[in-house]
This record gives sequence, C-alpha cells and structure tokens, in this order.
Amino acid sequence: MKAVGARLPRYDGIAHVTGRTVFVDDVRVPGSLWVKALRSPVHHADITGLDTSQAEAMKGVHAVVTWKDVPLLEYGHLSALGIPADEPLLAKDNVRYKGQPIAVVAAEDEETAIAAVEAIDLDLSEKPALFDVRKAFDADAPVIHQWGNWYPHFEAEMDRRQIRKGDIDRAFDDADVIVQGVYRPAAIEHVPLETQSCQVVPEANGRLTIYSCTQALYFSLGVVASHLQLPLNKLKVVGGTVGGGFGGKVDTATETMCCLLARKSGRPMRWRWTREEEFLYSSTRAPWHMEIADAVTKDGWILGRKMLTLHDSGAYARFSPYGLTKHSFHHTGAYTIPNLSFDGYVVFTNRVPTTAMRGFGVTSVSFATETHMSRVAEVLDIDPWELRLKNANRIGDTSPNGITYTDPSTVPVVKALAEGMGVELSADLRAMSRDLREGDLLPQHLVGQLGNPEDH
Amino acid sequence: MAVHTGRGIAAIEYPTGMNQNGDPSQAWIKVKPDGRIDVFAGTSDIGNGSKTIQSQIVAETIGVPYDWITYDNSNTDSSPVCTGTFASRATFVAGNAVLKAAAKVREKILEIAGKELEIDPADLEIVDGEVVAKGAPQKKIGVPDVAAAATWGHGELITGAGAQLKPFATIVDPETGRVDLPPHSAISYAGCAADVEVDDETGVVTVKHLWQCYDVGRAINPTLVEGQIEGGAMQGLGLGVLENCYPYYPSVEHRGSQFGSYLAPGMEQMPTIDTIIIENPSADGPYGAKGIGEMANNAQPPAIASAVFDAVGVWVTELPITPEKVLRALEAKAEPRRAGKLVVFDEEISVNAVSDGGIRFEVPA
Repeated sequence: MKAVGARLPRYDGIAHVTGRTVFVDDVRVPGSLWVKALRSPVHHADITGLDTSQAEAMKGVHAVVTWKDVPLLEYGHLSALGIPADEPLLAKDNVRYKGQPIAVVAAEDEETAIAAVEAIDLDLSEKPALFDVRKAFDADAPVIHQWGNWYPHFEAEMDRRQIRKGDIDRAFDDADVIVQGVYRPAAIEHVPLETQSCQVVPEANGRLTIYSCTQALYFSLGVVASHLQLPLNKLKVVGGTVGGGFGGKVDTATETMCCLLARKSGRPMRWRWTREEEFLYSSTRAPWHMEIADAVTKDGWILGRKMLTLHDSGAYARFSPYGLTKHSFHHTGAYTIPNLSFDGYVVFTNRVPTTAMRGFGVTSVSFATETHMSRVAEVLDIDPWELRLKNANRIGDTSPNGITYTDPSTVPVVKALAEGMGVELSADLRAMSRDLREGDLLPQHLVGQLGNPEDH
Repeated sequence: MAVHTGRGIAAIEYPTGMNQNGDPSQAWIKVKPDGRIDVFAGTSDIGNGSKTIQSQIVAETIGVPYDWITYDNSNTDSSPVCTGTFASRATFVAGNAVLKAAAKVREKILEIAGKELEIDPADLEIVDGEVVAKGAPQKKIGVPDVAAAATWGHGELITGAGAQLKPFATIVDPETGRVDLPPHSAISYAGCAADVEVDDETGVVTVKHLWQCYDVGRAINPTLVEGQIEGGAMQGLGLGVLENCYPYYPSVEHRGSQFGSYLAPGMEQMPTIDTIIIENPSADGPYGAKGIGEMANNAQPPAIASAVFDAVGVWVTELPITPEKVLRALEAKAEPRRAGKLVVFDEEISVNAVSDGGIRFEVPA
C-alpha cells in the first residue's frame, strides 16, 4: 500500500470533529490565576506616570508586572535576519497604539484581575497620531517611532527595499503605452476560533512549562528565553495543535508575560484573550499601498515595471521588513519583466502592529499585479489569457533578483485552468510551453535577460 | 437596474519556505520493539495537516502502514527544532527532515534484517511492513520481528535523525536586490477564474463560481490539498469582497470587535468551487511536493476585481469590494487620464495626490 498520494484520513481528524482534541484552553491546572492587561486607551502618548502600588495591595492580587520586571525588554524577533529590536514587551516611555500592553496583573479570579487593572494609576500625555502611510513622509507629519516614520535598517542602512534590473528608462521610452494604477488591499483579522491563550506552570524543579497556541514552538521558546534571559533547558513549550492560526500565532502574544507573572508569584497562570481583545488588539494582516506603472507594447509585451510600495506596519516593525522583502522578490508575479525599478518602504503608523498572515507579503502584490495585468489587457484590448501566457515566465528566464527559473509553471497552470473550465484557447496559445524561449517568444527585449538554468 | 455577470482571471506564484531560507527543521524517529514507529518533530499543526503529511512521508519512506506511525509534536523537550508552521514550509522543509530521518531508520531495519536473514541488506526491500529479498519474495521477515530482534537479540535501538536547512540567500547588492542563491525552496504556481454577479442597484458583488488550478508538485494527500485550496478560496473571497479591520481606512474608527461586527466569510458565501490539480514534481521536495498552503488565498481577489470590471465596467482597487465602493464607483464612472502614451488610473488615491510632497511616484515618460 502506498502512503504518498493516498487519501488517508487526517491524523487527528476524528478527535477534532468529536471535540476531543485538547487545545490550550482545555488544559486545567489547579491554583491557576487569572491574567488581565492594562492596555493603552489612546493611539499615541508619552507615559508620564505609572503607579501599580494600589493594585498590588488588593486582596486576591498575587503579582503585577511592568516593564521594570522584564530582564530584556526589547527583543528582535528577526534579529537573525539583521532586523533590530524596536518593541518593548510592556510599554515603558510611551504608547504607540490603542491596546498596547502596559502592565499585566494576576489575581484569584477574573473580577479581581479586572478591578486590579482599573486600580493602576496611569498618566498619559497624548500626542498627535499618524494613520495614513501616504502622509508619513511629509514635513509636518508627527514623528511616531524612534527610527523615524519608516524603517531605516535594510542592508547598508538603506531606508527602503530596492530592486533594480535592466534599463527602466529605456523600457518606458520604448513603450507604446504606459498603464498606471493604485492598489490598496485592506487589513484583515486572522479570525481564529481559539483566541490568543496560554497556560504557564512553574514546576517543582524550577522550570516553566508553557502551554502555548503558537504556530512555531521553537520560535516562541526563543522569544520567551530571550526576554527572560534563560537557557532553553529552563523552559518547556507544550503545544503543536493550534485552534486556528493563519499567521497570527507566529506572534508570541501571551506567553512571556505569563512566565514573568508565574515567576514573580510562584503560581500557575492562565490567560485567554477575550474575543474583543483578539479582534482589536491582536495583530492584523497589513494594509498595503501599491502604485504600479507598466511600460507595454501595443502587441502585449511588458517591457518594464516601476513600482512603489508602502507597507503599513503599524506601530512596530515585527516581521514587516521580512514581509516587504518577500513582496519585492515577487513583484513581477508569474511573469518575466526584464526592466524593473521597485522601491518599498515599511511605514510606521499608530495602529496595532501588523504581522504574518497567509500569503505574507505576496497576497498584496498578487492582488496589485494581477488586477493591473487585467487592466493592461483591457487598455490594449488584448485577450487576458493571451497577455498572461505571452508574458509568463519560462525556463531560463530570470527573477527580479537575478535567479534563473528552472521550474516555472505559469504556462502549464494557465493552460490547465482554461482547459478545465472549457475555455477554448487559440492554437498559438495552446502550443505554448514553459520551455526555453525561442522564435516569436524571444523578442529582442528579452534576449539579454536569459540566464543559464544549470547555474541554479 | 439589473444584475450583471462578469468573469476575471489571475495567475500567481508563491515561494516555498522562508524568504531567503535559513529556516531549519529537524526530526528524529525511534522504533518500538514491535516495529511501530514514533516520530518526533517540532512542527505545529495549525489545521494544515502537517501531522498527517509527515506521517505519510514516514510510512512511505520506511515501507510500513500509515497506522503504524505515532506522530509527536507536543513539546520542545522531546521534539527537535522546527522553525515553525508558516511560509508554506511544513510539507517541503519539515517533510524533508522526516524523510531523511525515515531513510536512516529504513537503512537500520534493513541492516538488522540482513543479519537475521543472512542476506546482504542491499538485496532487501521493505514492502508493507515486511522486509523481503528482492526477486525472492518467499525470503522475508516482518518489520515487527526485525524490531524485536534489534531490541532483545542485538541490543540495538533502531533510530534515525534528519534535518533540512537551505542556506541563507544573502542580498549581495542592496541597490539592485540581487541575491547569491535562490531565496526559496521551490516556487508553486496557480491560476484562478472568478465568475461574479454585480447588482448595480445594491452594489452587492456575489461570487458565484471559482475555478482554480494549482501545480502542487506532488499531492502527498489529495484530500488535504483540496482542503487547503478550497479553504484558501474562501479566505480569498473574504479578502476580495468582505473583510476589513478598518472599514474607513486609514481611519481607525468603526473597528469590528465581535463576530457580528466583522464580516468574515461564512458558508452562505460559498460559491461553486472547481479544483484542478496538476503535478509537476519539484526537484528536491519530498516525493516532488511543493508548498501551496498560503498562496491558496492570493489569486481570488484580483480575479474577483477583474470580474467586477467585466460585469459593470468599473475598477475597484481598494479592497474589499463592498457595495458602498461599487455604488460610488458606478456613480463616479471615473475614466483614466490619458496623456500621450500615458493611461493613468486612480489618481485621487495616489501618493501624488495625498502626500504634501514628502513622497512621489514618478514615472519616466
């Protein structure tokens, strides 16, 4: 019996559909305390006073944790990629988005935890906020981030992600038509049924067991260990079965704060975000602003593309520089465009930080470039199937960053799609393949861009 | 006032594995005294089916039934590193790690079986839980007996470990973005066509039919691949016509904070979905597989936007395509500005219109 290629039953399917799978919220540890967060009530402010003494003195409150309790306050999630840290685990000097955590409390029951949060004395000096990425660069824009309003730490300390290929000016000179448009997909929620949650248990041997809904056990282990400055053998992350993630549970949202509370109080912690917290304060898919101009010929060749992307990162960088880089690598989509000029910025705004979500970085650029392809077809009055098949990437073509495609599949999937839905393509289009370009499919402007598939 | 129909298409690609690589996954496997297989990997299953896929890869590679596999990803004490379940990497990257571990286990089973049968291990193969001599199938020993012999007779543990890591691709020139290595494990491709209805009185866009074609390299489990593609289609439909955290973006007002005030797609929006799978094997994916989990929600929004234009002749390029946006676009009937060879759409939402000179989008002309 072959296992690969077989329609075998899902390993944990029966348990899921009969409600017997154990998710984090099903774990019950006697003596667990309730956790609640004091969150910023405003979009942007300096913190001028923070007094937790009243909350700490309340009956039933076992611990209050603020920035002072965090051994390493700022940790860069992608420091391995050279992306430095910018976000404190708990706000210290200022708050940059509504809902940003400032303090967490642990109490005997939910009511006491809520009352303790209300008993924290917080003084804020509110500041102007920035929400429109298009205005972030203006002289009169409020400066909202320690690095300025856009991320300045790409390689060679560049303040943007750049792609340059070929001769963009010549492509626009040679073009018959230049088609220009703007594309703005929205921020959306991950909408997991399981909200951000964790259970942390201080063990008799001094270790902390962290029941986590993380999508990345070792990633979360690393994040907690770094903030707490502990070796990995002091922590055990338990999980592996997630009640909906879609990218949002790459964030380590609750675990670190619960570990701090558990260490301070010696008690197990349980924190499950409310549905409202999940919708309003968990990170979202980013909204993007993209502008494209394509230099095209009357007969449907795309000679060049100029593109500007503003990636609305929200208040902190998190994974956004990574997402923008991935976005830039794919800004020609499933096609070959030999002349490129791409500029992308990670822009800070006073909204909830954005994070990974299914298709991270590329969902946006696929929407922009493919809608734009349809527009080009309409402007040129060319069949949209033909425009796509003609410009499709082929073996030997090169990517925006100079890698030779060895395994492109645009032509096969487009032809199979047409065939599957009963669309009759012309004989010319049906004859196309993904093979090395020749004849009519190797016009002069593509001759110079061919690479050697053996190189990669 | 009428309901108009339209069709739009899109073709997309998406990388497998983290962009620029450098994202390890590891696994180790041990064999119980009766031949049942314990797999330890750190890959979270977020509903993508990674427990199933990795178990299938192990069963296939060793040559034992699927239900002999116990898969444990429950904690960081027993399971080795997996960077995580994101970047469409679980099947390809983590799948390669369990494949390598399983290949070592298979080799060890053959070695012990060779001693038991007094046959060169190179002349043995494992078929459906039995080690058999190639060309002489009457000479055989069950994997359970091999495992027992290893445990009680040879004093050995049958085990194997595997790791997958593609080296980090460095951006060698930040001016051009050139990299020194392919910055991904594989690239997957898909096409999508959307048939929509647009009511020009209410502005409502109804997605009636999604046709989708994916090159998955190799469908390790066709049912799970179809599940990814159909589930992704619904998420793409949400992106296209329903969902928005900030209904009046960039304003932060009017955020929905409950299921009743945030429009996620439900079964009532489910269109007819036709899925076409093609298998153009990846050179180095496990059994030729490529990752397609994430891209499954990328092709629908542009196909839907193009279909809306086909139906009613307006481009709505700010997602989602809500009734309000459709009605406003129908009322404005905006035409692109044409100047020489320039055809310029959407000027009112460009940085050139909104920024006070801080940033410009200049087109060489």
